[in-house]
Amino acid sequence: MKKITALLAVALAAAALPASAETVVIVSAKNPASRMFSEQAAQFFLGKSTMFTPIDQAEGSAIRNDFYKKVADKDAGQVKALWSKLVFTGKATAEPKEFKSNAEVKKAVADDPKAIGYIDKSAVDDSVKVILTLQ
Amino acid sequence: MKHTLLVAALLGTFAMANAGAATLGGDQLTISGFGTLAAAKSNTEEARFTRANQREGTAGTNTFGLDSNLGLQATYSFDDKLSATTQILSRKATGDSFTTELAWAFVKYKVSDEVAVRVGRVVVPSFLISDYQNVGYANTMMRPPIEMYGQNIIETADGADVNWQHRFGDTNVTAQAVIGIARGKTYVATNQSELRYQAPTAGFAVSAEHGPVTLRFAHVQAKLEVNDAVIIESLSNTLAAVGFRQLGEDIGVGQAKRLAFTSFGMLADWNNIVVQAEYGMRRAKEPVYLSDSNAWYAMAGYRFGKVLPYYAHAKYDGKGSVIQTPAALARIPALYAGVKGLLAGGDQASDIVGVRWDFAKSAALKVQVDHVKSGSSNGFLRDEKVAGKGVTVVAAGVDFVF
Repeated sequence: MKKITALLAVALAAAALPASAETVVIVSAKNPASRMFSEQAAQFFLGKSTMFTPIDQAEGSAIRNDFYKKVADKDAGQVKALWSKLVFTGKATAEPKEFKSNAEVKKAVADDPKAIGYIDKSAVDDSVKVILTLQ
Repeated sequence: MKHTLLVAALLGTFAMANAGAATLGGDQLTISGFGTLAAAKSNTEEARFTRANQREGTAGTNTFGLDSNLGLQATYSFDDKLSATTQILSRKATGDSFTTELAWAFVKYKVSDEVAVRVGRVVVPSFLISDYQNVGYANTMMRPPIEMYGQNIIETADGADVNWQHRFGDTNVTAQAVIGIARGKTYVATNQSELRYQAPTAGFAVSAEHGPVTLRFAHVQAKLEVNDAVIIESLSNTLAAVGFRQLGEDIGVGQAKRLAFTSFGMLADWNNIVVQAEYGMRRAKEPVYLSDSNAWYAMAGYRFGKVLPYYAHAKYDGKGSVIQTPAALARIPALYAGVKGLLAGGDQASDIVGVRWDFAKSAALKVQVDHVKSGSSNGFLRDEKVAGKGVTVVAAGVDFVF
C-alpha cells in the first residue's frame, strides 16, 4: 500500500513537474546502508573514500552537472581535474564508470553491493535503495 | 624535426581525446593520458629560464620544450584488490631533446578500504603537488614555481609505499610513506653535462582535508650520490693536493651525502577563491657543497565561471652550504674564490600572473607571464650575463586529459 502511494505520488509529481525532477542517491538493495548525508555521498564521487564504488551518469548530462553542484558545489570541470589528480598518481585506477541513462545506472548499482549511484527519482524500483534525496 | 613530431603526436592524441579513455579487454585494462602543448618565450638572451632540472628552457627563444609534455598511463586490474599501473612521460628534461621516461610502474594491492600498498616505481611525496606536478590539467598554474620545486629534483623512487586514508568526523586524513632508491639524471650547466645520480630515499606526507581546505606536511631524506661529477671531483683533488683533503671530501658528492627536505603546503577552494601556498626547506645533514635553502610561494585566484585568473609570488633564499670556507685557504686566492663561490647561496623571486580557461571538457587553456629576478647572487636563472636584470617569460598553451 505504502509503495503504491509512493509510486502514485512520484507519478503525480513527475507528471505535474517534469522539468524539476528530483535526483536521488541509490545503492543496491543488497547494500546494508540505509541513509547518508550529501557530504558523505560526495566522498565517494570525489574519490576521497573507496568504501563504495561510484557509478556516474554521462559526462555533460544535466543530471550529472546538477548532482556535483548540489553535493559538492563543484562544476564538471573541477570534478574532472580532481579525478585527473587521483588517476595520474595511481591513487585511483580509473574515473567512475559512467552509464548513459537512469536505467543503466540503476542496473549497475543493483548488480554491485558496493556501488553507489544517482538517478532521477522517477526511475527508482525495488532493485535499488534510496539513501539520500537531493534538495 | 623533433619538435614537429612531438607536436603531431600531441595533436593526434588531442583529437583522440574526444573518443574518451579507451577501455580494452573488458573493464580490466584502462588507458588514459595527459599532456600540455604550450609555447613559451622569454624577453632576453642574457639569461636562461628553465623548469627544475631542465636543460634548455628559454633564453629569448621560442620553445615548445619549456612546458609541453605527454603522459600515457595504462592500468590493468586483476580484481578489486590487485592492479598494475605503468605511466610513461615525454618531456624536455636534462637533455637537449624530448625524452621518454618510465614515470610510474607499480603493482598496487588494496589491503582494505583504507590501506593500499604499492611496489615498484612510485612517487616521492616531497611537495604539495608532487603527486601530479607533471599533469598540467590538474594544476592551476602553468608550471610549479622553480623557486620551490628546484630545491629537490627527486620525483620518483624504486621501492614501495603505503597509503592510508581515514575520515575523522568531517576531516579526511591521508598518510603516505615511501622507501626506495631514487635514480635519475641531473643537469650541470657549468660543463653542459647530464650526470646520473642515485639516492636511497625515505619520506612521508600527511594531508588533512577539511571542507574546502587541504593542508599537507611532507618530509623526505635522501643519501645523494652523483657519478662522475668531474668539476666537483677535480676541485676535491686540487684541494687534497694543497693540503685541504677534508674540505675536498666534505664538498664532494661522489660519496653519498644525506639531505633532508621538509615542506608545508595548503590548498583552498572556497566560494570561487582558489589559494595554493607552500613553504619548503632543504638542509644538508652531512657536509656537502649544496646550499641549504628556504623557499615559499603563494598563489591566489578567483574563478569567474570557467575562467580563473591568478597571481602568485615565489621566493627562493639559498643560504649557502653548511661548509665554511677555511680562512687558511685564502693563501691561494684563486682557489679560495672558487670554493667560496661554489659554497655560496643564491636568491631569486618571481611574480606570476596568469589565467586558466576551461574552454572544453577535459581541456584548459592557460596563459602565464613570469617575471623572474635574481638577488645579489643568482638562484635558478642560468647563463646570466647581467646580474639582477630579470627575465620575463610568456607562455601559452593547452592542458588536456583523456
